[in-house]
Amino acid sequence: MKIAVCAKQIPDPAISVTYTDGKIVRPDEQVLDDTDRYGIEVALQLKEKYDAEVTVISMGKLGTQKGIQQALQMGADKALVIEDPALENSNSLMTSNILSGMAKLAQADVVIFGTESSDGYSGVVPQQVSRYLGLPCISYVKGIDISEETELTRQTIAGSEKVIMPNKCVISVTASGVEPRYPNFKDIMAAKSKEVEIVELSSLEFTAEQNQEFVEIKSISSNKSGEKHIDEGDSFNLIIERLKEIKAI
Amino acid sequence: MKSLIIGEVSNGTLSSGTLEIITKAQENNLDFKLVVIGTENNPKIGSDTFEVIYVHLSPDELSLSSAADTLVDAIKTDSIELVLASSTYVGRDISGFLSVDLNSSPVANVINFEINGSTLTTTNSIDGGESEYFTNVTSDVKILIIRPKSFEASDVTLSENYTTSSVEKNDLTVNVFDVFIEEKTGPQLEDSKIVISAGRGMVDVGNLKYIEELAGKLNAAIGGTRAIVDAGWMPYSQQVGQTGKTVKPDVYIACGISGATQHQVGMKDSKYIIAINKDEEAPIFQIADLGIVGDTLNIIPKLIENL
Repeated sequence: MKIAVCAKQIPDPAISVTYTDGKIVRPDEQVLDDTDRYGIEVALQLKEKYDAEVTVISMGKLGTQKGIQQALQMGADKALVIEDPALENSNSLMTSNILSGMAKLAQADVVIFGTESSDGYSGVVPQQVSRYLGLPCISYVKGIDISEETELTRQTIAGSEKVIMPNKCVISVTASGVEPRYPNFKDIMAAKSKEVEIVELSSLEFTAEQNQEFVEIKSISSNKSGEKHIDEGDSFNLIIERLKEIKAI
Repeated sequence: MKSLIIGEVSNGTLSSGTLEIITKAQENNLDFKLVVIGTENNPKIGSDTFEVIYVHLSPDELSLSSAADTLVDAIKTDSIELVLASSTYVGRDISGFLSVDLNSSPVANVINFEINGSTLTTTNSIDGGESEYFTNVTSDVKILIIRPKSFEASDVTLSENYTTSSVEKNDLTVNVFDVFIEEKTGPQLEDSKIVISAGRGMVDVGNLKYIEELAGKLNAAIGGTRAIVDAGWMPYSQQVGQTGKTVKPDVYIACGISGATQHQVGMKDSKYIIAINKDEEAPIFQIADLGIVGDTLNIIPKLIENL
């Protein structure tokens, strides 16, 4: 079995995102999107069971490749990455078109994603990739049980449902379904010698187009001039008072 | 602009997200038809004023990909220019599938849109709701995925007047061997008048019992931040924020929540926000109507006792 797992490098989420001409400003040092750790964990659990090869696929500004290294440190075997000016500020379809091509290069049977990136959060890339590749899509996976077969539990609006993982498919994994592993020192050292192959745009079939034209960003700063009190042991009274005033109780 | 709304069924009727989109479509006098996707039998989702088609799927298989095939045909046949879907599990899946066939990237997390002649401009909320981001969509077919609670839900009268269509299964269909319906007791996050949310400041999962007790007293729904959902304290279905649910209750009580952008996006439009946090500088206080700087674990038990 061959698995491709998506890893996105994003600006440190602890720092506010800034924009230039409608584009997210991306520093040289970006980190692995936490959302992707869940997908990587599922990929690694499958690797352990089926002796699968796990290839990280990533698109976007490479910079120091810190985020790619973080994905490799978790235990992926190698990485395919792409950066090209034509892909800057890609919409979701352009992104999924490229990632589909990368999954093909990795000869992936199973392609795994987080549900949505923390900076773009369109939440449609896994579905689009499945359509490009003509594979079944198991979205919003919140649990995995690997025994004879691999059972996937999907989050639904009403609760959940279980399916047997097809041999070839695309999966998106929600946060909290699995516990992403932390690399130990040995893993961190080993990641440094893993192959990171840079893919050229010209080697991929690329048909998606930009269809979103940035107009403007307007500040609607809505900081309230609310009241703030330091608790001196009796602030529960104040809360009850206010709840009564607004007729909530 | 000839439009198609992708609707969903919830408890035998149209989902709130669908009703919200209908409000916007009617306000803009859009020429639309509603295609509803669901697994329930005989839902009351019809209308005497606009066309409704029910794409009835089996709960025993994942067949949204086949439903998308049917929709693509309909969109092409009817020369649809605008497709509107809700930002839900089903809405995102379907929109993603459609977008590839129509070679048109969806605009996701849309909170509003304006149409001027043939120009369609979408609004997205960024910076935790501090700014709005405007985009013109230039493709022939425009697909918008609308965030819940962006518009008021329509009070349109629903009837039995709709046609039911089945889908031809494609080979991407996957069998479902087990379905679990979560028992939903008490007020639900999306429509509760009061929401109480917990963050890391609750320190330990065991302390969520205070939140539950308070919610019981106030008849409130319970939410949580991404941090505590990731930590496994609460299911994903209770996550409030950018990657979770959007809520707009009359009262939102944030307990031990610092107020990261990710969280604010999902709750900042609540009518009255009460924030309790140890850190005086926590961003949550910037959007709170009543801020209490103090230890949630001291304050909540006293509040419960005195309510």
